[in-house]
Amino acid sequence: MLDFFARNRVATLFGVTVLAFLLIGMVAPGYLSLSTASVIMSNSLVLMTVALGTMLVILTRNIDVSSGSVLGLSAVILGLLLNNGMGLAPAIIICLLCGALAGLFNGILVTFFSVPSIIATLGTLGLFRGIMLILTGGKWIEELPQSLKFLAENGSIGISVLTVAVVIALAGVWAITRHTRFGRYFYAVGDNREAARHLGIRIHLVQISAFVAAGTLAALAGIIFAAQIGFIPNQAGNGVELKAIAANVLGGVSLLGGSGSVPGVFVGVIFMTSIDSALVFLKIPAFWNDFIAGAVLLLVLLLDGRVRIAVEKAIRAKRYAVHSPNTGSGTTGPVHNTPSPTSSTPGPQEHAQ
Amino acid sequence: MERNNHDKAAVRVSDIWKSYGGTAVLKGVDITLLPGQVHALLGGNGAGKSTLMKSIAGLVSPESGSIEINGQALNNPSPAAAQALGLYLVPQEAQILPNQSVLENICLGLRSSAKALRGDIEKLVNDLSVRLDLDAQAATLEIADRQIVEILRGLIRKARVLILDEPTSALTPHEANALFDRVRQLQEQGVGIFFISHKLREIREICDVISVLRDGAIVLYGTLDDYNDHQIVEAMTKSAGGETANVTAPKRQRTTDFNLASNVLEITGFSGEGFRDISFDVRAGEIVGLAGVVGAGRSELAETLFGLRPSGSGTVKLQGKDLINRSPRTCVDAGLVYLPEDRQQNGLFLEASLAWNMSGYTMHRMGFFPKGKRETGEFSEFREALGIKCEGPGQAAGRLSGGNQQKVLLAKCLAANPRVLILDEPTRGVDVAARNDIYRLIHQLAEKGLGVLLISSDFDEIEQLADRVIVMAHGHQCGELSRQAINVDAIAHLAFESGAASHA
Repeated sequence: MLDFFARNRVATLFGVTVLAFLLIGMVAPGYLSLSTASVIMSNSLVLMTVALGTMLVILTRNIDVSSGSVLGLSAVILGLLLNNGMGLAPAIIICLLCGALAGLFNGILVTFFSVPSIIATLGTLGLFRGIMLILTGGKWIEELPQSLKFLAENGSIGISVLTVAVVIALAGVWAITRHTRFGRYFYAVGDNREAARHLGIRIHLVQISAFVAAGTLAALAGIIFAAQIGFIPNQAGNGVELKAIAANVLGGVSLLGGSGSVPGVFVGVIFMTSIDSALVFLKIPAFWNDFIAGAVLLLVLLLDGRVRIAVEKAIRAKRYAVHSPNTGSGTTGPVHNTPSPTSSTPGPQEHAQ
Repeated sequence: MERNNHDKAAVRVSDIWKSYGGTAVLKGVDITLLPGQVHALLGGNGAGKSTLMKSIAGLVSPESGSIEINGQALNNPSPAAAQALGLYLVPQEAQILPNQSVLENICLGLRSSAKALRGDIEKLVNDLSVRLDLDAQAATLEIADRQIVEILRGLIRKARVLILDEPTSALTPHEANALFDRVRQLQEQGVGIFFISHKLREIREICDVISVLRDGAIVLYGTLDDYNDHQIVEAMTKSAGGETANVTAPKRQRTTDFNLASNVLEITGFSGEGFRDISFDVRAGEIVGLAGVVGAGRSELAETLFGLRPSGSGTVKLQGKDLINRSPRTCVDAGLVYLPEDRQQNGLFLEASLAWNMSGYTMHRMGFFPKGKRETGEFSEFREALGIKCEGPGQAAGRLSGGNQQKVLLAKCLAANPRVLILDEPTRGVDVAARNDIYRLIHQLAEKGLGVLLISSDFDEIEQLADRVIVMAHGHQCGELSRQAINVDAIAHLAFESGAASHA
């Protein structure tokens, strides 16, 4: 049972999310409806897109805290181009390219100039936000054309063009990380960079690709943001990078790199977004949002940690049961695959209780 | 075999130079490997062997000189380029991706998918007569199995040139023999192999030619039959103060009567993770060997003694006093110190200075403001006593060679002024000269009245050093040998056969 939770992190979180929905549904009738689902889905699009890119970077054992600024910068570029009369399609393409370029810049800093990613992206977090403010002169961009806003409107079946775009992005990243050789390299580079290099993987290329993808996805999030609210404030995208990292952690993406999956990020984002919508239904004042979101996040991670410790204990007990006097292992000669925790880094914290 | 085919060298290195921070590490090295040849490469710590091999494997770019693999020049060196030319380096420290499966670890970086290669890998695993669960997570593998994963990576890549960097250092004798059979098979298929090792016996067993590297230059080259062990070791060590190290350290004279000496460590009915019902004692001034194969539960025993793992039942007495609620801190304060097996992972702070590393066990006694002077004073004392080759107290520990790193760890243990010292594989990955230094040190420590518990899978080492040997297999204590009864065969007999018998 415990084993199942530890191995199926995504399923566990999914279960918790469903349970939370049901509980809230019982307290606040009317919460469990298609319209709520539709609201949560469209509210989660921006965070989902940013978190997806962040996942790719985290997989390679880097971190990207500049995505909020990339979002803002590309949204502003989109807005300026549109308001100067450019067509929607070319404006979107240029906007995405700007995001990719910003990601490339991050990637080059991290690989060729070996700046630690947290420092490099902290720097560009300010830099990109600054470029955005210079471009707008500190003013908000308003009166975006109807053609852009139309992208966010739900069609006849309650799904907008943007939702489709995000689903395609999710499916694409999932397919690449799961089924392609290059996708496996993201995991390899994050798991043990030296080993990946030793195996002939071009680790710089892989890391840069992750940053470029993260930049492009942040730009897509910028487009979604602009289309959904119809104007671009100065603080567009502020703080979304941290929410994206939190959603990744919730979804089981290891900050140490090398493990995590798209379904995990998906569930993590939905979970975080539904907290906000649930509070509305529970008639809790909006200024409680941050407090409750933070507390829930901590609670989930704490429970998760407890479960993991319990599972590790169970595994250890099973592993060493072989040595008890009554159960002979029946082997002749040296045993090779009795794993020893010497290799699984025994730390004092494991024995703390 | 194609030994006479001089036009088609598997590897031809000419006149390569490389320096780090102004010090030349390779000074115009030429070396040639023919297809179907097993070429031994020997050298002390810092002689430049690993830099030379890393240059050939594309991990390091030399400043000048040329490298040809299978007739093609290695331009723009990178591991990918070297592998494309048919070369694979099996490093000494296995490079594992802990979160991936074993299968994924072996296949990563190859064009074919893991599924397609599974059959081939299973066959190779069988040929090597090892057991390996391809679906296990790599993090759960023991050091020996990690090494096997590296070897499998080389084999599955159908490399025409293999570099094996101390491949047997983590293997049991049984596995090592299987590996040698495999090496001979590859040799017959015309694969050229560079074989780096510190064990002359191994080199004589499977190598054809030998090159000895000293101070960045080849000082001896030729067919192995042309040189005796003494000449080889002399070539390796000559420059180290003009004094030649012995091939083997003098065997310990087992004359003292330890029955009269007091017990410093007494273990009774001790059980824990991976071992059960162990009882023995260590007397002052005695070296007790703890022998067995990898996975026998010896390291687990040591780690439990030192409070790193939860303990089961049994008592541990240090100098007559019960050691309860063991933690590394209480053990060090009581006079029990442990030198761990994996110095890179559990022993050293690789980025920290040597002086810091040495005061690792005593830091908590130094007060709120540790005094730098005292640290450096201690440092120079041990540097001299142990013969540590380094730049100074401020050097990062990660930049020392294996043998010197091990000496720093030993100094860390001694700084705590222990009564009992547990040494876990103290000479793994250490060259001949440094190994003899460490043996001499262990002798001296025992003579000063320290009780030493020596864990080693190298039965020669146990034979040379121990006054008494406890043999463990499958977590059980399966025999004890003392004095004249200690020899490699007797230990091996107990370690392999009684372990099997008790479980058959």
